[in-house]
Amino acid sequence: MKLNESKRTSGWRRFLKYSKKIVGGTTLLSALCLTPSAVLAGGHGLPKDAAPADQQVLRVPCDNTRNEVTFDFAVAVYQRYECIADLFQDTLVDLDKDFNVIPASAESWSVDASGKVWTFKLREGLQWSDGTPLTAADYEATFRYSADPSSAWDFTWFYSFIGAGGIKNWSKVIAGEMPTSALGIRAVDDLTLEVETEGVFPPLPGVMKFAFLLSKKALEAHGPYYNNDPDTSVSAGPYVLTEFDPGNRIVVEANPNYKGYRPARLQRIEGIYMSPATFFTAFQQGEVDTVPYERLTPADFKVIESDPVLKNNYLRHFGDFRTDYLLFDTYTAPFNDLNVRKAFAYALDRDAIVKNVYGEIKAMPAHSMLMPGYPASDTKGELKQYQTFDCPKAKKHLADAGYPDGKGFPAQEMWLRGEGPAMSAVYQASAASIAQCLNIKIEVSNKDGKVYMDALNAKPTQLTLGAVSYGMDFLDPANLLGIWVSSGRHSWTNEKFDSMVAEASNLVGDDKKREQMFRDAQKILVDDVGGVFIAHRWQGDLFKPYVQGDSFRVPDSNGISGKHWGNDWYWGNVYISNAK
Amino acid sequence: MLGYICGRILALMMILLAVSVIVFSLMHSVPGGPFDERKGRLPPAAKANILKKYGLDQPVWKQYINYMSHAVRFDFGIPYQRPHTTVAKLIGKSWAITVQVGLTTIVVAFGFGILAGIYAAYHQNSWVDTLVTFVSSLGVTVPNFVVAMWLILIFAVSLDWLPMGGWGSSGQCLIDKYFCTDWILPVVAYAIAPMAIVARYTRASIVEVMGEDYVRTARAKGLSEVKVMRKHVFRNAQIPMVTALGTEIPNLITGSIFIESTFRINGLGKYFVTSTLNRDYPMIMATFLLVAFLWGILYLLTDIAYTMIDPRVRLGAKSLS
Repeated sequence: MKLNESKRTSGWRRFLKYSKKIVGGTTLLSALCLTPSAVLAGGHGLPKDAAPADQQVLRVPCDNTRNEVTFDFAVAVYQRYECIADLFQDTLVDLDKDFNVIPASAESWSVDASGKVWTFKLREGLQWSDGTPLTAADYEATFRYSADPSSAWDFTWFYSFIGAGGIKNWSKVIAGEMPTSALGIRAVDDLTLEVETEGVFPPLPGVMKFAFLLSKKALEAHGPYYNNDPDTSVSAGPYVLTEFDPGNRIVVEANPNYKGYRPARLQRIEGIYMSPATFFTAFQQGEVDTVPYERLTPADFKVIESDPVLKNNYLRHFGDFRTDYLLFDTYTAPFNDLNVRKAFAYALDRDAIVKNVYGEIKAMPAHSMLMPGYPASDTKGELKQYQTFDCPKAKKHLADAGYPDGKGFPAQEMWLRGEGPAMSAVYQASAASIAQCLNIKIEVSNKDGKVYMDALNAKPTQLTLGAVSYGMDFLDPANLLGIWVSSGRHSWTNEKFDSMVAEASNLVGDDKKREQMFRDAQKILVDDVGGVFIAHRWQGDLFKPYVQGDSFRVPDSNGISGKHWGNDWYWGNVYISNAK
Repeated sequence: MLGYICGRILALMMILLAVSVIVFSLMHSVPGGPFDERKGRLPPAAKANILKKYGLDQPVWKQYINYMSHAVRFDFGIPYQRPHTTVAKLIGKSWAITVQVGLTTIVVAFGFGILAGIYAAYHQNSWVDTLVTFVSSLGVTVPNFVVAMWLILIFAVSLDWLPMGGWGSSGQCLIDKYFCTDWILPVVAYAIAPMAIVARYTRASIVEVMGEDYVRTARAKGLSEVKVMRKHVFRNAQIPMVTALGTEIPNLITGSIFIESTFRINGLGKYFVTSTLNRDYPMIMATFLLVAFLWGILYLLTDIAYTMIDPRVRLGAKSLS
């Protein structure tokens, strides 16, 4: 991977700048969109190499083993119709390919002198597919619905988790202690939405990437699942629902009444349900046009890497900057001993696991939590010394802990969270690497997901040794380091780390200092071995050569192409070329 | 006979009651609930609300009584996996497809299996017999999801003769949306194992009957070979076949997650697994009760079939001793 540190830092600064100041964004918008009068139902702005408008059909595979109940983020985040989710609205902001916050439904935003009240100005003329104007009241109603305890939204934890960045009174409203009207979300007028936070939180605009919305009118008339029926579904996004047979087939078509920033070039997207095991086979047979990386097996990757066409059309990207790692209960023996944790950290042969188990196309060895490329990440490899494969050193640490050559070390059971075959193999190999180096016994047990999470979240934890992955929720170190503070889900505490993350998260006006504080905090995490970091995942998608679009074919400033996390422009930009 | 059938139906009700108690107890004793999240926990107020909404805030015994009092009226509740529909509607819709798959598979598996078994038995120890025995052993030992992938790779990907999935969506059908080209691969993959079992049982039963004295006598009397086979061999070979093969039917008409998942069939099969993984209590109960009911009914039908095949069998008759 070739990373340009200066460009990355520059991108990060721009991100913060966007977070603090009013941004017109009209230049970028005009670059991305045509004038509203040119908006058509599909075929919008098709380039010269495009197939005829009526052939603009993208077929995507959908996983028929998933538990899915809704299209809408505001109804259930973890149970969305994953392959065709979030196409029925635009969020307040979007991210460009360099992860800068850019306008979406909101054309500009500003923060008041207190740093806590943000004002988002919606674009004029936005509307729902039934012709109803889209207003700030829709956003207000959506947030109130999501915060209402009777909705039991599965993402409520998020606005509590981000602390100072949390919406004012969020925690009290979701606890049922205050009415939803007390929420720090206010529709000032049709085009003005006010978001009040608990404290000063510079990355708030980036968090509004999650400001998906529901139609207030449809919500009141038909309830939260109104989008599960083409007759009651309404969309303020580039597509509308036309066919709904979950588990079999879902079809959306270009929204003729769309007035947003990413009008569709495609006429139609067909979601075809199938077993994840057959995604690649269906791709080979020409039944679908894309396959996401997590559905490609090591055997599929061998085929891809040996075929120049497939290889050129597998586009690798950062995804959600996901890291796979081992976690401990550091409050009880044997992992309350730093020497034991260090022994584990040095006993893990990351390079071999990446090379032989993941495959280098899918991962890079991890020596810390933040994937290189993520803000405040260790792009220079300075933290490698704390977590790298060095078996003699590992043995010495274990001996210092009182277990020379592994003697007397209690046999461990390492829990996995209902992993599939590919990730099970990774964690099996990790356990084997550690066990072999340290001459200890580690048994791997792949648990049911709910059993695992119950044990992990229990206080005190019931999970002594486990493996898991985590990807970002928003592009700020406060997110991926925030999950390691002592109030989070990991049973590891370091007061200095806690205070450093808390201080850095709320720091305004000194970007450099803020970033350095996060870097220092991560060094503590790695050195004190809060977790043993295995690998950062390269994510990606396999496309048919005729699936085109600058949004994913043209690389970002780091030379990385592919569908970038948070860059929803993709759905308006992708098209079918005449090469089909 | 009628009294016997009524008695058996009553016994089936008792069995369903016992199954419901066992399943209900087991699913509530497994760690992790239906609304435990993967990332963060629901706030207590939200959790309390959703538990109340689905009646999960009540003691387990009360939940059971609530569930069963609705279930006897065919109200099996709302599936947590599809909160915008009901369990009855979801099962009705998905099972209709599974039954199509199952019945077609039964016709193919039993049709070809019985023919192959008869042919192998009649030509005992010939190369045909060896081939049928070998293919039958292969059919029983290779899992259907492996067969499914082989079929897809050969007939859909390599040869491109048949669609690799769907059910009635290929547009090439004999009647409306029925008997389509996309039925062929799933039915063949699904039918191979039961077909192998049917062929083996048929062969074994017929070989055994063909060695009986009365068959030899029939031949000695000068009956034609066709009459010997039809009147004496087939009829007497049916009882062991019905006993062994009847039990395949409930398996086939309640679906296979592997077949349905691999061939993109939106049937009931997957819910047996996903309901358990998601702790979807209403769906778990409904699917288990459905299976128990089908097994119970099928055993009853098998017993009734005995009386039709062999007049000496009298259901419910008192013992002579």
